[in-house]
Amino acid sequence: MKLAHRFRALGALALAALSFLAPPAFAQDGDKKEGDKKDEASKDKKDEKKDEWFAVTGGDVYTGTGAVLRGATVLSKNGVIEAVGHDVEVPAEAKTLDATGQRVYPGLVAINSNGLFGMAAGDFADSVDPYNQRMLLALASGITTAGQSNTALKLKRRDIKNVVLRERFLATLSFTNSNPSGKREWVEKFDRAARYLREYRDWEEKKREQKDLKEPSSSGVDSTAKAILEGRVMARFNASNREDLLEIARLAQRFGFRPVIDGCVEGWTVADELGRAGAYAVVTPRDRRDKEEQLVRDGGSSIENAAILHRSGVQVCVIPSTTGVDLGGIAGRDILHLPIEAGFAVRGGLSDRAALESITIVPARLLGVSHKVGSLEKGKDCDLIVLDGDVMHYQSLVQYTVVEGKIAYDKSAELFYAHIRPRPSEQLAPEARQDKGESEEKPADGAGETPTETPEESPKPEDKPEDKPKDG
Amino acid sequence: MTILTTILTLAPAFGGVSEPSGGLLAIKVGRAETVSGAAIEHAVILVDDGKILEIGADLPVARGIPVFERPDWVVMPGLVSCYTRLGVDGRAGQEFSPEASPTPEVQPRHPDYKEVLEAGVTTIGLYPPGTGFPGHASALRPHGATLAEMLVDEDAYLKVYFRANAQAKKQVRDVWSKVDEHDEKVKKAKEKFDKDSKGKSSDKKDDEKKDGEKKDGEAKPEEKKADDKSKAFVPPEADPKTKPFLQVRDGELGMLVSIAQAADWAHWVDAIGERKLDFSLRVVMTREIDLFEVKDEIGKRGVRVVMEPQISLVPGTMRQRNLAAELSASGAKIAFKPRNDTVADHAAMLRHVGEMIGAGLAREVALKGVTLEPAAVLKLEKQLGSLEKGKVANLLFLNGDPFEPSTQVMAVMLDGEFVSGEVKE
Repeated sequence: MKLAHRFRALGALALAALSFLAPPAFAQDGDKKEGDKKDEASKDKKDEKKDEWFAVTGGDVYTGTGAVLRGATVLSKNGVIEAVGHDVEVPAEAKTLDATGQRVYPGLVAINSNGLFGMAAGDFADSVDPYNQRMLLALASGITTAGQSNTALKLKRRDIKNVVLRERFLATLSFTNSNPSGKREWVEKFDRAARYLREYRDWEEKKREQKDLKEPSSSGVDSTAKAILEGRVMARFNASNREDLLEIARLAQRFGFRPVIDGCVEGWTVADELGRAGAYAVVTPRDRRDKEEQLVRDGGSSIENAAILHRSGVQVCVIPSTTGVDLGGIAGRDILHLPIEAGFAVRGGLSDRAALESITIVPARLLGVSHKVGSLEKGKDCDLIVLDGDVMHYQSLVQYTVVEGKIAYDKSAELFYAHIRPRPSEQLAPEARQDKGESEEKPADGAGETPTETPEESPKPEDKPEDKPKDG
Repeated sequence: MTILTTILTLAPAFGGVSEPSGGLLAIKVGRAETVSGAAIEHAVILVDDGKILEIGADLPVARGIPVFERPDWVVMPGLVSCYTRLGVDGRAGQEFSPEASPTPEVQPRHPDYKEVLEAGVTTIGLYPPGTGFPGHASALRPHGATLAEMLVDEDAYLKVYFRANAQAKKQVRDVWSKVDEHDEKVKKAKEKFDKDSKGKSSDKKDDEKKDGEKKDGEAKPEEKKADDKSKAFVPPEADPKTKPFLQVRDGELGMLVSIAQAADWAHWVDAIGERKLDFSLRVVMTREIDLFEVKDEIGKRGVRVVMEPQISLVPGTMRQRNLAAELSASGAKIAFKPRNDTVADHAAMLRHVGEMIGAGLAREVALKGVTLEPAAVLKLEKQLGSLEKGKVANLLFLNGDPFEPSTQVMAVMLDGEFVSGEVKE
């Protein structure tokens, strides 16, 4: 008896381990059907029009699924990736972007953000500001998808259509030892929901024979708990204490769902438990927290947190400590430093590959949009970035950001980083060269030109101080 | 419009006081900025009945017609300020009241009106305050003892305050679905009416066949009644809150949409959808404004933009942009309003617009921007805003080029009558 029990436990462990070894995509990539249908419908419509082809050629393509294809091509048709690889035939009418000697990564995904879509905090479809500078700056740091107000949004510059990718995929639960009654409530809710689901499945099974069998009542069943158990939404917790983390791991294992844990500062001390629970951790590698000295156990923050968690099978998502765009001087910790933050996880021992996943496919899974974004694969949106170096290196600059097969950011065409290591003029995209020529003809047209050869921008002599209007 | 004509017919009675010969007056100046065409050197303008009878270079003037000669002066059309709250207070509400008008608030003889008139502003557009659909604006002359004397056009344009948010977009969509509903109602009523009248006449024929002449006498009045009805088909009355939008759609009423950033434009265009609408834009100029992002789209629609003569900055930078010049180059029309809604900024209007010329705005665009284009916002471009035969004689006399900072206003003529300046012969 005892032996059998042990075997079962072992089996479960092996299963768990297997599920982490396997490419961990499918678990949350569930709602494919709906999105794909929409895609197909829009594709059919577009087929009547002319197809829009776009290709990035010659770059070292980091697909985000582990592969690195040197000198490969990414081909996009109507904003969706048609092919990734070598020997890809590029149609003659395709617009191409030569990325020879550069690196191509999937567009980065920020699980949390603030202000990238304008002042709006909700109703994004009707209030997104696709012209605001924070969106441009985020694109300039490589972000193409971001979450805000529990909504997954695409950074579409100058476009207000189809910005919202998915809404309300995460349900935030208060489940900590500092709120015992709240904790108890959630256990009861999950208990009830689990019981209901069991009864429902039982009923479904039996009703084939007994047609007049009554459907179990769902009254009193918490809809959030039910949705979590059914896998329609993910449960999100905010916890950093070792004890809280353990409780969450136990809850998740008891009811069979995968928890998303924000903070997770002391996660490294209980990484095995979190791994067994199939947890996702949203971490900030530069978070600092002291150990509680009166306790004997391990505690406090560790630069190795992300690495240890990942080693134990926890899927790690990285987010900087500030999720807005911060131009006020506290540089390096805002959303624009998402890849730099991931770089600190690498410093703590996380592999390059896992670090890239922590800012691409893992946050995409947590936003419920990994079937569309997060890696460079056929059928996904053509959201990618072209950089002059490693995405997590502090010296690398995003040269181009492509969103749905269109260049949304070109370093040399925007004011912010164009003057830093400017691109030689012959390497400019045709549009940028044209803009440059135009602006020389029209000196009155104040901006939009590309100061590629003159790194410093001195104010124009004709600027009159009285021209400066007051704030409206 | 009827009010305008009554004012015009009244005008000689006013003008007659200073001009003894029945209102006919010849004005000879060094230069006339016609706005609609090229400037005329040695211009002669014949004014009669408050209107411009004739304008040209060195026109012969018949003996006996009084001549007002100022060879050093420059004349241009009186300035039009199409978006102001001068003389009325700044209260703003959030009511949905597209039928409201600001005229009940107007206090004739308010000192502000006299002052802006002396600064050369001969027409003002008073707008209703508030967000959403606060009402429609009215065109007035800043002169007169009563509202009736001041009023040029009660219904100038419908004011819309639009910002990119779900509530505003919903309101816009609701408004146009109401218009569609009304159209549907009219269509149904018409169909029903046609059917009824047809049915009645065919009934009558059947009756004739069946009963011969017996019922003839009875059928006749019925037929007559139906005919009367078909002649006098009156579509069902629109809801007063919907009527202004019907007027806008039919081109009877202008529409001015206030926006503050590029996103507002994008969402406005999204909210009105495929509907073909004639509207002007009110762009609230701020120090940092990103509207240059959509200048081509605005230009493509040929929209008229009401804006302050101000240089703006690319957000987040100190890079200056001349939005008026850029919009105009993209195909938009520019109508300037004073930087602030004060008497002083009305008086400084030409100087401020002159600064925009210095920063790259075309001079002819600037000239139109203070006269003809704001007149067009008020739908008065056929009556005023330029020096043309048949237009109202609203003239602004200057002692030099309109946009030179040293130039001063010498005299102002409103509806053929001098209302300020040293004009004794």
